[in-house]
Amino acid sequence: MNLNLTGTESIQTNPSRLWESVIDPAVLQRSIPGCISMDELAPGEYTITLELKVAAVGGNFEGSVKLSEMNPPNSCLINVSGNGTLGIGKGTARVTITANEDDTARITYEADGEVSGLVAGVGQRVLMGVAKHLVRQFFTALKKEFEAN
Amino acid sequence: MAAKKYKFISQPRHPTENRRFVAGRGNFVADIDRPDMLHVAPLSSHYPAAIINNIDISEAMMMDGVIDVITGAEIGAAIQPLMNGLDTPKVQRFPLAVNRVRYAGEWVCAVVAETRAIAEDALEKIIIDATPQPFVLDAEEALLPSSPPVHPKHGSNILLDRKFVWGTVGEDFVNAEHNLSFSVIWGRNSTVPIETFGVVAEWNGWDNILDVWASVQMPKYSDQIARCLNLPGNAVRVHYDVDVGGSYGVKRGIKHATLIGYIARKLGRPIRFIEDRLENMRAGDAHGPERKFNVEVAFDSDGSVRSMKMRALDNAGAYAGRAPFQLGKPISAIVGPYQINSVSYHAISVTSNKTVQEAVRGFGQAPTNYAIETAMDRVASFLKMDRLALRQRNLIRSDQFPYLIPSGSTYDSGDYHAVIEKVLTAAEYPTLLANRNHLRDEGMMAGIGIAACLEPSGGNSSFEPLLNESNKTSTWMESCQINIDGLGHLTARIHTTSSGQGHETLVSTVLGEVLEIDPSSIRITRPNSLESLPGNSPVGSRMAIMLGGAAARSAEKLKAKLIKIAAHSLGIDAEKLTYAGGNVLAPDGRKHTWQDAVELAHRQFHNLPEGMDPGLAAFDIMQVPTGNALPVDGKVHMYPCYSFEFHLVLLAFDPVIGRPEIHSYTVGHDCGTVINPAIVSGMTYGGIAHGIGAALLEEFAYDPNGQLMTQSFLDYLMPSSHEVPPIQIVKHCTPSPHTVFGQKGSGESGYLGSPAAISSAINDAVSALDIRFEKLPIRMSAISDAIANKSA
Repeated sequence: MNLNLTGTESIQTNPSRLWESVIDPAVLQRSIPGCISMDELAPGEYTITLELKVAAVGGNFEGSVKLSEMNPPNSCLINVSGNGTLGIGKGTARVTITANEDDTARITYEADGEVSGLVAGVGQRVLMGVAKHLVRQFFTALKKEFEAN
Repeated sequence: MAAKKYKFISQPRHPTENRRFVAGRGNFVADIDRPDMLHVAPLSSHYPAAIINNIDISEAMMMDGVIDVITGAEIGAAIQPLMNGLDTPKVQRFPLAVNRVRYAGEWVCAVVAETRAIAEDALEKIIIDATPQPFVLDAEEALLPSSPPVHPKHGSNILLDRKFVWGTVGEDFVNAEHNLSFSVIWGRNSTVPIETFGVVAEWNGWDNILDVWASVQMPKYSDQIARCLNLPGNAVRVHYDVDVGGSYGVKRGIKHATLIGYIARKLGRPIRFIEDRLENMRAGDAHGPERKFNVEVAFDSDGSVRSMKMRALDNAGAYAGRAPFQLGKPISAIVGPYQINSVSYHAISVTSNKTVQEAVRGFGQAPTNYAIETAMDRVASFLKMDRLALRQRNLIRSDQFPYLIPSGSTYDSGDYHAVIEKVLTAAEYPTLLANRNHLRDEGMMAGIGIAACLEPSGGNSSFEPLLNESNKTSTWMESCQINIDGLGHLTARIHTTSSGQGHETLVSTVLGEVLEIDPSSIRITRPNSLESLPGNSPVGSRMAIMLGGAAARSAEKLKAKLIKIAAHSLGIDAEKLTYAGGNVLAPDGRKHTWQDAVELAHRQFHNLPEGMDPGLAAFDIMQVPTGNALPVDGKVHMYPCYSFEFHLVLLAFDPVIGRPEIHSYTVGHDCGTVINPAIVSGMTYGGIAHGIGAALLEEFAYDPNGQLMTQSFLDYLMPSSHEVPPIQIVKHCTPSPHTVFGQKGSGESGYLGSPAAISSAINDAVSALDIRFEKLPIRMSAISDAIANKSA
């Protein structure tokens, strides 16, 4: 099944620092819900291990994350693909960072994903809600990174 | 023929099995606990089609409590493929996918661990490297030469493609005044037993024997396991005293048993595998027929249906299973209860990248009945004739039995018109019509559904040689063994598993009737396969006929011996004696009691007639009545008995919401002599509830990526007490001439006609809008969408 997510968030920092954060594996590992590890293979290329629970099923997910079309500090394209006990997933997200008038940074994302396997079959009714919830968790955690600083 | 009066048969008696089940003292597979038992969890494929490049089990194997991981490559090299009833040797199936996966959910490997929880955790550590392959889901697409073959070595997706012409079809179509054609689709659904499939296996290397306890309903189970595992037949001992928590056809369990048997033998420890619901729904034996019908009928202006052409295209899923044969059983009742002079039948079964289809209640008969009944409604609609009158015109009359149908089966007996009259009276048909019209006046969509259909029963496998000419099987037997102990008490052995059909009640009732003793004094045992006489298991609505028959014949043999002993003892010719209440009476008033015979048979050999063996035991191995020939020229007589059912339903729904509510449900049922009324009524109620699910709710639906979207009870909807109304069962008895008491089968009753009746009612409800629903299930969303589209 297909998952499409779009949204905008404002974060208490400037675009450059936000850019640095979203390409920093350590920050991402702390912010991505269920992220157990994130290792940099090459600049902009990572392997990631997640542990997630959706509806009645839970499990791990191992995949690769690749950043391309890098235009610091304004935009990039993120490709994710992988599989695990929960199923198979792949997707792309276009991320754009701009400055707000109030000196905060605005991040806009347009994600387009496809999942199959157990999670698609069992979790179809809740998958969209879970995806939105995970994105919200991600940004809540990301915002805390800047509040802490 | 009037129904005979019996002392125990047909009387309202509590089923024997009720005591232990009501008290929670059943013995189910999950109750089997063997010392040092290990547990198994299978890893499922996410892909509908892929080539397996590598399976990395190293991390899983290092986990505490993990004993072994079995891959498809290992088991594929160690055992024989599962039995395939068709002549398609290149469509091979193993318990685990070997090199290639063919449906999402297929088991790729199996973890063996100290607990099921550890096994499940270890699944997460296994890394499968697989390359996705093209796949096909739709049966019509699978037929095309361009479709990706599910089994490349087989070369195409066609498992079966047979055309039969029975009678003068071409001529009848030319001579008929009208013809019409339509297509309908029966969606893939199941029976969904509460208990999923489970099996425990234990290998004893010193005795060279594999013990198997399983929740199973599978013909020749021990033979199939032995053959797959390269063991002698007498090295597999299947225990028949395991209670089964529902099956209705699907508990086949052969891939599970061969997998678990293999592991038990390899590791030398008892192994248990009980499916969880997801394993059951997407890769167990859960899926039933998925069938598209193209039907043409030729008929006259007076409503006489002369001929029918039917094409049935069935989506078997990834392997052959039993699916193709489910196109075969309906051949034995291909004209339903109607006088249709000729039929052509094109049966096609194709593989697809969906879960394997297995046997489901009725073995393909319910979908076919749905197609036949839709034809009757369409003809009536075309001629603007009353649907009921059209059926009454075409029904076989009671004076026409035995009735030979074009495809070679002879219906034994029936009085269809009488059953329908009884139902119309019981349901107060004129009031029912008035109620429908009243509901319509109130703005509801209301409709009356009608379905008349047959339940072929007696479980003969003649469709196998009919569809596979290299199969020469005509034997289809059942057996019973009885023994009177030294204290005079009777014990009977039945030689199969039971999945809720009440075989203990059946056998004790029949033995009690013949021997004129209290059925509740009779002990029934269910030994293992090695201590059993041959049988074909409780499938095809056969046990009242076959096990009941074998029990009655055993009892008659024993009764004859009791009379012979008495005759010798009393010095009177056996012909002059009468048997009553277990005793033998002489014309002069002398009585030779049951206990007298026990004393002589067990302890006084010197007083037995010359040449008679001691003891009081008898057994019987019975061949299915009328099952004595292989097919000739595409025709064969199949089942000995044909039960009849007539459904009459009133339902209504709000045109905006579209949720059908059943206001009245009456079914007329004639299954000959009923052995136990409570069991037959229970089967009919359950069958109708199952049919309501098939008609309105239940479907194994796939998304375009080949993923099963309805694999949990969140998405696979079943009827509950909200959807199943009170059901009025109207009984009629036309005894069968082929069985000992006139009994026929009833194990599939209700389900065979209720989907057709509900479809008929919904189509009646929307007829004024010129809407036709041509696919089951008819979900409420489909109803409300169709009405909204018409209104727009």
